[in-house]
Amino acid sequence: MSTPVAAAAHPSAPAVNTPSTQFTTEFLEATRKLEQEWRQKFSAIAQKFGVDPSTYARHTDSGLPLKPAYFPHDVATVDFQSIGAPGIFPFTRGLYAAQYQFMPWANQPVIGYGLPEETRRRMDYLQSQGMTGYFGNTFYNLVYDLVSHEGIDPDHPAAEGRVGQCGMAVYSREDNARLFDGLPLDKINVVHISYYENLPVLAHYLAYARRKGVPWEKLGGNSMNWYYQSAYVGMTCFPPKAGMDLAAEIVSFCTKRMPKWNTVNIFGYGMEEAGSTAVQEVAFSVATGIDYARNCIAKGLKPDEFLHRFGFQISQANDFFEEVCKIRALRRIWARKCHELGARDPRSMHVRIHTHTSGAVLTAQQPLNNLIRTTLHAFGAALAGVQAMEVSTFDEALAIPTEHSATMALRVQQIIQDESGITRVADPLGGSYFVEALTNQIEAAALAIVEEVEKRGGYHKCHDYVREQIESSAVRWRDQVDAKERMLVGVNKYQSDEMQDVEVFKVNPDSERIAIERIKALRASRDHARWEAAMADLEQATVRFKGGEIGVLLPAMIEASDADATTGELMGVLKKHLGWAPPH
Amino acid sequence: MKDGIIRVLLGKTTMEAHDRGVRYLATKLREAGMEVIFMNFLEPQEILDAAIQEDVDVIGVSSSVEGHLPVAREVTRRLKELGKENVLVMFGGVIPERDFAPMKELGVREIFGPGSSAESIVTFIRNNARRPHVALT
Repeated sequence: MSTPVAAAAHPSAPAVNTPSTQFTTEFLEATRKLEQEWRQKFSAIAQKFGVDPSTYARHTDSGLPLKPAYFPHDVATVDFQSIGAPGIFPFTRGLYAAQYQFMPWANQPVIGYGLPEETRRRMDYLQSQGMTGYFGNTFYNLVYDLVSHEGIDPDHPAAEGRVGQCGMAVYSREDNARLFDGLPLDKINVVHISYYENLPVLAHYLAYARRKGVPWEKLGGNSMNWYYQSAYVGMTCFPPKAGMDLAAEIVSFCTKRMPKWNTVNIFGYGMEEAGSTAVQEVAFSVATGIDYARNCIAKGLKPDEFLHRFGFQISQANDFFEEVCKIRALRRIWARKCHELGARDPRSMHVRIHTHTSGAVLTAQQPLNNLIRTTLHAFGAALAGVQAMEVSTFDEALAIPTEHSATMALRVQQIIQDESGITRVADPLGGSYFVEALTNQIEAAALAIVEEVEKRGGYHKCHDYVREQIESSAVRWRDQVDAKERMLVGVNKYQSDEMQDVEVFKVNPDSERIAIERIKALRASRDHARWEAAMADLEQATVRFKGGEIGVLLPAMIEASDADATTGELMGVLKKHLGWAPPH
Repeated sequence: MKDGIIRVLLGKTTMEAHDRGVRYLATKLREAGMEVIFMNFLEPQEILDAAIQEDVDVIGVSSSVEGHLPVAREVTRRLKELGKENVLVMFGGVIPERDFAPMKELGVREIFGPGSSAESIVTFIRNNARRPHVALT
């Protein structure tokens, strides 16, 4: 009874949302009549509950208005091309035609605590429990500790009590050997989760790989480049423009030397964790990506040379359908924006997503309930068709994961992959009147914010605006919880005095002392003259970099790492020349 | 300085990205009529410098990934040295229960864990800050 108007979608000729309709006029008249009939029934029920149907309204967690039921005419203005097909521009329905048919998403739990050997034990353990990446290879998603994030060494006074906490105590090429020795570097994929110490971390890894005789072009993995996070969290080593330039340095180097490396991670997850809504997460992710891409283009790179190595890390939180639809909207927006930037290779328009299920919505109260929450989150991410997944552990609100909680989180992924059957069909929600309508709503709302950011000169020029937006969403969220407008089981509903006795992880108290001893021993034993020369070269390279040269900084840093410079020493040079007037 | 307005310094280490709670608290304390300074710090001395300079009544430190004990030790020790024990010190964030007792022994008056309401913190400050709360007219 409907006549879809199917025009061929092609990356070189992307369609914009035109008001054309995919249904015939007669069909739309019929469905509108059907809606009227439904509305009468709905209103009668609402009145029985004492609700005035004319003012009744429900909203998504982002605040988008919802209808109680959706009809074909609700998606009549959505271009058929905009929905499209899996693997076809604008990729609303997924990046790949086969989706999970032959290979499911990659399991990428975050690992990292204590000394490198301790982290390695957890890596090996999870690998033994079936943690699997693409093509049967193992992906290691490794997080560095706070001391490293700050770019100081473990014997700095501010490091006290924080060494090996919330990440691994890895500060040198030597520590990379403790972490990776015995692993086939050319077959594994290593995500280095770092904040401001991206360059030192990559330099250590590359210096280590070279000593192991593994060519850099064979290395797979990820640098994060989360400098833009300083808009909404208090980590502020570098001013926004310097951060973007440091990211461009990695992009430029890897474009020429490391084709398998993912150079930039757009961290929507951090935005949603800081309080942003799903709509803001999409918008600020896109705005950041555009800003970073433009900066790379300004430095002489072509979109199709580097955009396919940008990746996204996206949150999956409580509002089930909004969280699914935001991913579909993000794929569509990004594809079109990259086309506008000049990308023509479909891979350059892909939003490759690593899902991190939300930690912010997990509760310290009744912690085992979090397993149920994370299962829903992971299930939503799978329905949305993401490429990799980290499921938060149920003890997230209490401490670093125990081996038990980390195993349970891996099992959540594995049960969905192997038992639920949802991997059998690509984009199983595609075509749902509600899902397509909500995807469109999110797209429109997010694009409005992207335009606002653009008006302000791009993301790096409007950190204050981004912070205000995210902070006011965070306040609204919490106010809604306190007012019981937003339900959290165990927090503002179904509270219980019963204590769920769960084991709380504690990092080995000796780790800090050992890490300090090691860094002191490294400084004492290294070839001092060689180190000094390499540090002088790095200083010169940093000055040249500051003057606008690109591609000089990372090579100099790799040589300094090879001469046993530590993360704190390498970051010291960057902070001195590129940081805020440093108090530290 | 405005009489009767409680002055609060909230601090969080620059190393940590878990700012959401403390930023929320800053908003809520301001709404409750308090003057709030929010700062990121690297070393505890920075908190003390700011606290003394701004003559605050309350110091609140947020920590979600350890490192709270050394900060608590340093802040309380220096306040005692300066004769400022009447400055109310509180902590919040993800702090394991096993550390509550040692922190209180140091002089930390209260620890607010995940799920604590802003209202309970406002009440705690009003009841315990050295400067009596005067309602704004």
